[in-house]
Amino acid sequence: MSLWRVMLALALALAALVAGSPAAQAQQQAGTLVVQAAAEPPGLDMTASPATAIQNTIHYNVQESLVKLDKHGKLVPWLAERWYTTDNLNYTFFLKKGVRFHNGREMRAEDVKFVLERAMNPETKHPHRPRYLGITNIIVKDTHTVTLTLKAIDSNFLLTMARPGSVIYPREAVDTLKTAPIGTGPFTVAEWKRGDRLVLARNKDYWIKGLPRLDKVTFRFIPDPNSALAALRAGDIDVSPFGIGPENAPDLKKDPRFQVITGDTTNDVILAMNNAKAPFSDKRVRLAITHAINKDEVLKGAVFGYGKVLGSNVDPLNPYYVDLSKEKSHDPARAKKLLAEAGFPNGFDAVLKVAPQYYYTVRTGEVIVSQLAKVGIRVKMEQIEWGQWLGRVYCLPPCTSPEYDLTIIGHGEPWDINNYANPKYYFRWDNAEFQKLFKESEATLEDKKRRELYVKMQKMLAEEAPVVWLYMYPRLVAAKKGLTGLWKDLPTTALDLSEVAWQK
Amino acid sequence: MRRFILRRAAALLATLLFVSILVFVVVRILPGDPALLIMGTEASPEAAGRLREAMGLDRPIPVQYLEWIGRALTGDLGRSIQYDVPVGALILSRLPVTLPLTLMAGGLMILAAIPLGVFAATRHRRWGDYLTMTLSQVGVAVPGFWAGLLLVLLFSVRLGWFQSGGFDGWAQGLLPALKSLLLPAVALGLFQFAVLARTTRSAILEVLREEYVKTARAKGVAERAVLFRHTLRNAMIPVLTVAGVQLGQLMAGSIILESVFYLPGLGRLALGAITARDLPVVQGVVLFVASVIVTINVAVDVLYGLLDPRIRYE
Repeated sequence: MSLWRVMLALALALAALVAGSPAAQAQQQAGTLVVQAAAEPPGLDMTASPATAIQNTIHYNVQESLVKLDKHGKLVPWLAERWYTTDNLNYTFFLKKGVRFHNGREMRAEDVKFVLERAMNPETKHPHRPRYLGITNIIVKDTHTVTLTLKAIDSNFLLTMARPGSVIYPREAVDTLKTAPIGTGPFTVAEWKRGDRLVLARNKDYWIKGLPRLDKVTFRFIPDPNSALAALRAGDIDVSPFGIGPENAPDLKKDPRFQVITGDTTNDVILAMNNAKAPFSDKRVRLAITHAINKDEVLKGAVFGYGKVLGSNVDPLNPYYVDLSKEKSHDPARAKKLLAEAGFPNGFDAVLKVAPQYYYTVRTGEVIVSQLAKVGIRVKMEQIEWGQWLGRVYCLPPCTSPEYDLTIIGHGEPWDINNYANPKYYFRWDNAEFQKLFKESEATLEDKKRRELYVKMQKMLAEEAPVVWLYMYPRLVAAKKGLTGLWKDLPTTALDLSEVAWQK
Repeated sequence: MRRFILRRAAALLATLLFVSILVFVVVRILPGDPALLIMGTEASPEAAGRLREAMGLDRPIPVQYLEWIGRALTGDLGRSIQYDVPVGALILSRLPVTLPLTLMAGGLMILAAIPLGVFAATRHRRWGDYLTMTLSQVGVAVPGFWAGLLLVLLFSVRLGWFQSGGFDGWAQGLLPALKSLLLPAVALGLFQFAVLARTTRSAILEVLREEYVKTARAKGVAERAVLFRHTLRNAMIPVLTVAGVQLGQLMAGSIILESVFYLPGLGRLALGAITARDLPVVQGVVLFVASVIVTINVAVDVLYGLLDPRIRYE
């Protein structure tokens, strides 16, 4: 009897010991935030690697650029308080005064010159070097003024200045960008434990008074979506900002402890066709496939109805977006007629290659296979590994001709209509008229004219159907109740935490 | 005995050599160009070509192998491509998670499986036996990652006793650190525990049928003494073999569980390295884990050479 009592006491003591600490941990300290990140950044230098995992954590939080893409997808002055140009070839940027790097030194025009020259230097392996090669001259006028000269008019130049690769950092910290990047952002990098976490701390001297609101941000790398969800429910993380599975959103919405934010992204999910290959080289076949697909059903089946149906390439966050989702609507009879006209009254066989790395592609594929079967197109879905997808379907060199009939993928890049003007792109769509339109849009700066061209291009794409635009992948954020200041939409890859705070 | 150990050591080196060649070749014939995966979809072909050259991937595979193994023998496993730090240091930094996790899982497995196996064997064909065997059947059937998720749902989400994952390091104190490894260790050890319990049971049943046990019983030796003095020691030989192999498997199994519990261990390192085609890290981790497994196996060989002198001469 006494032995039992001792054992019981021991067990209770152990249970108390084990159960004791998490309760204390669960209590939210004011001003700290734990964020889930699915992928770990491979380094912390955005000027050396194009990995979005770096942009997710570092861009806007630690390092900033002259121009910023704001929460509405608009380009706004940032480290440069304004700029002017008379001929669209010479841009003079006036830098904000009193902006300090994390090492305490003031940001100067010299830094801008250094950063851009480094981006153009082939030795530094900047991942987006070609974007900067149009700059022919950089002149520092005074400490806070710098003039850039372009070779030719480039309507995307200011966007380039807003991109992650254009962040301004001090020359003296160039050697530690990979592990301890320094910038002008609201947070500094406090600790990076590879494989585990990245900790950001408040920059007390941030140039916008009152920001950031948080004292500390911890990104925890949790690759498994089920684990991330469990961590959220257990209170170990506060927010899952890069997309929870759409299948989990309804449950989380019902849970009074959480809020689910749904918004737009620039990620257009498409059914790409190999336009260089028969029968997809025939416009009638491509249109038949477009008409055979019920996009509302795809949206329901693939992403539980979140997101938006698309009818052309430009994403809803783009200022030139026109809604063409009703344009080539679901019409199986018309699809069959078009197929017969193209010489396939009994349909044909095709292979759909998808990479399960992006699971939505598989789910989307399943719906599409069954829809195409209804008009007689017999599609076999084949799952391939991401590396193979990049090498064979996307056809990165040394590949010279893409090996696929159909594939499904999301294109996340904003302003990516240029892909359709590139006959070497993996769609292999070669249309001289479109290429001319795009060229014109690049050289056009007047907003009204440029918008007209963009609308024209979108309509032409809907008409020619080089690919099928399925849906915009939704932004689905799950966060604890009381967390405010998160961006609703995601017009860029950065997760701006400067205004995020806990409601009192 | 010395000759026996030397022979085993030679076999160990041969195995490692074979493994190293295998790993090296396999990671090189994996589809997906590492340079392209690292540079991303917008990289220019020239940039990818330069990186390929810098990584030494443009040279013949045998040349690459000889260089790598030569340096590996001096303890230099190369540099990680994605992190740009020495692979050796990277592996060492992950050991304080994976090693205790594996040992804990192994310890729990042995502590639970052997008594339970003995219990089942002594109640052969009675309800205690059937119950134990049914439970262990479940343990064999349930995949570790799923068990892990269930444990998290129960003990973290519902009860709030444990954190759902992560490891804050040994600096937080011995007890909290061990606590954060407990759930993953249980999930990791579950399968091996079930296997070992079954092995122990059948090993003991086997020995109980031997003549010398019958003799001991006939002489009137107490049942408890028969079990502990005569049976257990002899039954431990097959059990030890299985447990040794299992320790190695636990280390390999940690790859998946470290993802479920987002622990910054060796398994996570390997998985991330494979996805990123960080070849030096993949090779380094596999070679390291293989060395540990092979060494454990040799240690087991030697150990039962000690337990049963007959084995040495076979």
